[in-house]
Amino acid sequence: MALSQEALLDLYRMLVRIRTFEERVGEMYYEEKLPAFDIAAGPIPGEMHLYSGQEAVAAGVCAHLRPDDPVTSTHRPHGHLIAKGVDLKKIMAEIFGKKTGLCQGKGGHMHLFDPDLHFGCGGIIGGGIPHAVGAALAIKKRGQDRVAVSFFGDGAANIGAFHESVNLAALWKLPVVFVVEDNLYAISVPKAASTAVRSNAERGAAYGIPGVQVDGQDAVAVYEAAKEAVDRARRGEGPSLIEGLCYRYRGHFEGDAEGYLKEGEKASWKEKDPITILGNQLKEQGWLTDSDAEAIQAEMTSLVGEAETFARESAYPAPEEALEHVFA
Amino acid sequence: MTASVGIIANPASGKDIRRLVAQGSVFDNNEKINIVQRVMRALEALGIRQVLAMPDAFNLIAQAQEKAGVGLHVDWLDMRPTNTTRDSIEAAQLMATAGVDCIVTLGGDGTNRAVAKGCGYVPLVPISTGTNNAFPEMIEGTLAGLAAAAVALKVDGVRQTAIRLARRLDIVRDGEVIDFALVDVVVYDELFVASRAIWDIDKIQTVVLSQVVPGTIGASAIAGYLPNIPNNKQGVWLEIGPQGQPVLAPIAPGVVAPIPIEALHWLAVGEQRTVMHAPAVLALDGEREVPIKSGELIQVRLSQNGPHVVNVRAALQAAGQAGLFVSLNGKGGGQKPDL
Repeated sequence: MALSQEALLDLYRMLVRIRTFEERVGEMYYEEKLPAFDIAAGPIPGEMHLYSGQEAVAAGVCAHLRPDDPVTSTHRPHGHLIAKGVDLKKIMAEIFGKKTGLCQGKGGHMHLFDPDLHFGCGGIIGGGIPHAVGAALAIKKRGQDRVAVSFFGDGAANIGAFHESVNLAALWKLPVVFVVEDNLYAISVPKAASTAVRSNAERGAAYGIPGVQVDGQDAVAVYEAAKEAVDRARRGEGPSLIEGLCYRYRGHFEGDAEGYLKEGEKASWKEKDPITILGNQLKEQGWLTDSDAEAIQAEMTSLVGEAETFARESAYPAPEEALEHVFA
Repeated sequence: MTASVGIIANPASGKDIRRLVAQGSVFDNNEKINIVQRVMRALEALGIRQVLAMPDAFNLIAQAQEKAGVGLHVDWLDMRPTNTTRDSIEAAQLMATAGVDCIVTLGGDGTNRAVAKGCGYVPLVPISTGTNNAFPEMIEGTLAGLAAAAVALKVDGVRQTAIRLARRLDIVRDGEVIDFALVDVVVYDELFVASRAIWDIDKIQTVVLSQVVPGTIGASAIAGYLPNIPNNKQGVWLEIGPQGQPVLAPIAPGVVAPIPIEALHWLAVGEQRTVMHAPAVLALDGEREVPIKSGELIQVRLSQNGPHVVNVRAALQAAGQAGLFVSLNGKGGGQKPDL
């Protein structure tokens, strides 16, 4: 059975790992920044875009990826990084701007690259989509069975590069999976105000590729759909599009007043929390008990704590190194 | 009371994993808006002025109304869409309570199953915009609208000749009906509902059908292509397994596969059998819905408690005979024009 106890427990652990990491970063971010919200102050300077609430999409998709499958991500990258298996310590250190981070402390929260795990991300909306297609083209030319995955949001699906990328991937039958995380907003612009077709899954048809809409709060549903899409690409049958309907719990960025939200909207989405949903499904099967769940939470809290300690105790890059690593 | 017609259009149908694992049609939402436009124009042409509509996050019906520019009055149901199956159930309940004469649905088997949970005695005109579409008809929207109008206007002969009571497969646990399917129940070797659709033939353990007719796709097709089907309109219970006699069946769009039938039992209305496989998941009308735990006993019973369904062609024929299209006065008396 594809939906095995082992696979789903791993999925659950990943959801908890991502949530714990994001919530802890969300706490530390505000150190020294208040009361006037000085964005440059504290151990984590700059902007922050957290993934809490959307864990099922990253975890459900990346569960099928190998270390050598390339992934491109966005300004909200931590969930994808963690699900891809990138070292929490190195992620945290980079967020803190420390020398021991993924990019020697020079990239920060939105520029987290791991060449060994073929992971990249950036803040340019839709910027990663053509990169994934390029990676897929290289894979195909080399005759490999690797798969590239591009994560992006509902806003990015209106960017020209999205359409160009899907068209080319379809035309050349490339091994890439496009994952649209529809969390209803592009910053504060509701999807109904930005997108003509309302469901990005339908856009697959415009390019002749399968487009599937899936409940992004149900990790097992995402896992199932992603498995088919990834396997299909590995078999050389070409690209596909998965639209995961999900929700971000913490707004677009830390400090977002979220005045654009509808009343009661966030509360109703939190009732469909992905960790609770998967936890209940596993408990019903007798695969997880309450004390197992507590143990997993404790384990993740400890892992994140270690990453935090590592980040805090690491050194900053020296001013003399400012021009190193930043040119190709 | 003014004749009124309800419209329930499911924006979620036609987008699930069967686009990936089979060749499921993409019924994009613009096409659904197109169909609703046609329904509305047809309703208006026959004098229906009152439409009750289910709101949805994609605003399908609102957009259709705007594009069609019709003079129909559309009343919106007082409900907040959750974008789940519950919306279709609630919409149907509200429409039945409001006393609509007919409900036009846009969706597949899943949508119509949900509507059937709420519609009570209100007859349905189900238009296919889903994946398997064994229950709804591949019927053009304009014709569906005309048929719905004929039903709502209580045209002579339409109710008598064109509306049938559909069958149902009741899922029974501890003597209580916990859910039902309109077309088929599949016992699927899986533990989770997950992405709902079923597509792995090796995981199909049992298939129960409310009727046996050729000309459908999905699990309902499995018995429809057997030789020697009795004529007495029974349902059927099939045990599927590697020792069985393979029958080729169009099990999903574009997927024709041999399904090995180990045992076959005809079911009369009122008859039930117990599911022999647990743990498993029951897929109702093509969607995983009811998990069965190890040791749990579940029965499936063929019943006649389905919704009332309009046969569009028969309705149009009866309405034509009654003169609806020449006089717009097909009620009572039946004065046929001299044509």
